[in-house]
Amino acid sequence: MYVVEIKNLCFAYEKDMVLENINLTVGEKDFLAIIGPNGGGKSTLLKLILGINTSKTGTVTVLGKTPTQSLTQIGYVPQNTNVNTDFPIKVIEVVMMGHVEGKRPLFGYGKHEVLCAMGALKQVGMADFAQTKIGSLSGGQRQRVMIARALCAHPQILILDEPTSSIDITGQREIYELLKVLNEHITVIVVSHDISVILEYANKAAHVNKTLSFHDISDKHSTFHTHGNDEHFCEIELLQMLGSENCDTCTSTGSATDDTSDTSTSSVNDTNLSVAEPVEAKIKWRLKP
Amino acid sequence: MIEALQFDFMQHALLAGILVSFAAGIIGSLIVVNRMVFLAGGIAHTSYGGIGLAVYFGLPIFLGASLFAVGAALLIAALTLKKRHRMDTFIGLIWAVGMAIGVIFVDLTPGYNVDLMSYLFGSILAVSTQDLYFMAGLLAIILAVVTFKYRDILAVSYDSEYAGLRGVNVRFFYTLILVLSALTVVVAIKVVGLILVIAMLTIPVYIAEKLSNSLFSMMFLSGAIATLFTLVGLWFSYTYDLTSGASIIIVSAASLGLFLLLYREK
Repeated sequence: MYVVEIKNLCFAYEKDMVLENINLTVGEKDFLAIIGPNGGGKSTLLKLILGINTSKTGTVTVLGKTPTQSLTQIGYVPQNTNVNTDFPIKVIEVVMMGHVEGKRPLFGYGKHEVLCAMGALKQVGMADFAQTKIGSLSGGQRQRVMIARALCAHPQILILDEPTSSIDITGQREIYELLKVLNEHITVIVVSHDISVILEYANKAAHVNKTLSFHDISDKHSTFHTHGNDEHFCEIELLQMLGSENCDTCTSTGSATDDTSDTSTSSVNDTNLSVAEPVEAKIKWRLKP
Repeated sequence: MIEALQFDFMQHALLAGILVSFAAGIIGSLIVVNRMVFLAGGIAHTSYGGIGLAVYFGLPIFLGASLFAVGAALLIAALTLKKRHRMDTFIGLIWAVGMAIGVIFVDLTPGYNVDLMSYLFGSILAVSTQDLYFMAGLLAIILAVVTFKYRDILAVSYDSEYAGLRGVNVRFFYTLILVLSALTVVVAIKVVGLILVIAMLTIPVYIAEKLSNSLFSMMFLSGAIATLFTLVGLWFSYTYDLTSGASIIIVSAASLGLFLLLYREK
């Protein structure tokens, strides 16, 4: 069973189409990266999966039910966790907001809720900061707290919207390492701009710009050209791979990068690979010779 | 000051000052953390329309102002829930229209029979027993709501979108905060008047915010600070024969200045 299944989805806030004919399936324990330009509809797509937005055309199924019905199974980390930092609230209180409505005491918080929140904080390595005011944490620490809040409800899917947009490089890596560990048990969907970082961790990628192109990138070594260093992917390879309009010119852009980084520039193999899911454009990319 | 306490009106004034300050401290905290200060100012001024209507139709002032202010709060809630980015425009509009309605109805009332200044700047020495019951009742409601619905209010104030995803009725609590603000503003009109009420809702809160690390402690601390300012302000007002509302605000502002001078952020 797919964790998330989107079929023939179209969405418009007012007149202009934001998303057109979207088809997407996310399997269990996938790590899906959603990338694309600003205003391309990434956040809108997340909101459709969360049931904040609803569309009349097409269907969104989450864990076999409608998004609203499955909401308690989804952990969500919103964008912009740096707003409202003056708010007088302790870390543990923020995390406990993640609890799903249910049995709760008349006054304050239940003991199991505190324990559960502490467990979530431990998972993200922030247990020592439980009584700290949220405003005095760094951006990366605050993001971890937000992830703990999402984990509080023991979700099956964790959805993050630009989780590292305001964090320094070290912090970003720590967040992704954390997501990698969490991914062993739950499905992770991340919207991000940091494509070079995210592709190391994701096994599926979706490029969203009104339409969606899906790519299975789980087997990185066979599908990517790297600069000798196994861990590195840069935006250029990515754009070659994902941007359908770049495909016609990918040979030329590709050799341009090769000049600077690779000694064997002469032979460039263009190979057509069939991608796991239907993509309108056939995507060409290079294999390392 | 002590000898003044034998007078009924002075006892009423003190009691009203304490009740209203506490309510203002608690609700002011919610207004500040929700960034609704301008909104509260709008409701305060709009309630003048209710005063005008009450004068014209011969209703109790408190009743007229309360109904009108709550109506304005519901209207603002309905308008701003959908279009939050246009909130300031709506508030400015309602602000002025409310005042205009009040002025027109007072004009239409035969004979000049009310002291308008007392509503604009407060008349704490004219608090009736009935007013005190109203104030105590409101404070009881506010205390009950913030104690038993604390976590919902906290969730909605901190991150309303997330609260909505976790099943909190954001619309209801947003409206509830606005309605309680409206009622608090109405009772505060007696003490500091509708023009000065905004300072009472924000100055103690600003100090308390710096000193507390949870919304709960912030609410009660600002309640206590507001009470202190009101009592000191009343003492000034009595000793030097000054307008009580203005004295309270000046005491608050001076204390805030002193606080900022002495308090260094860690």
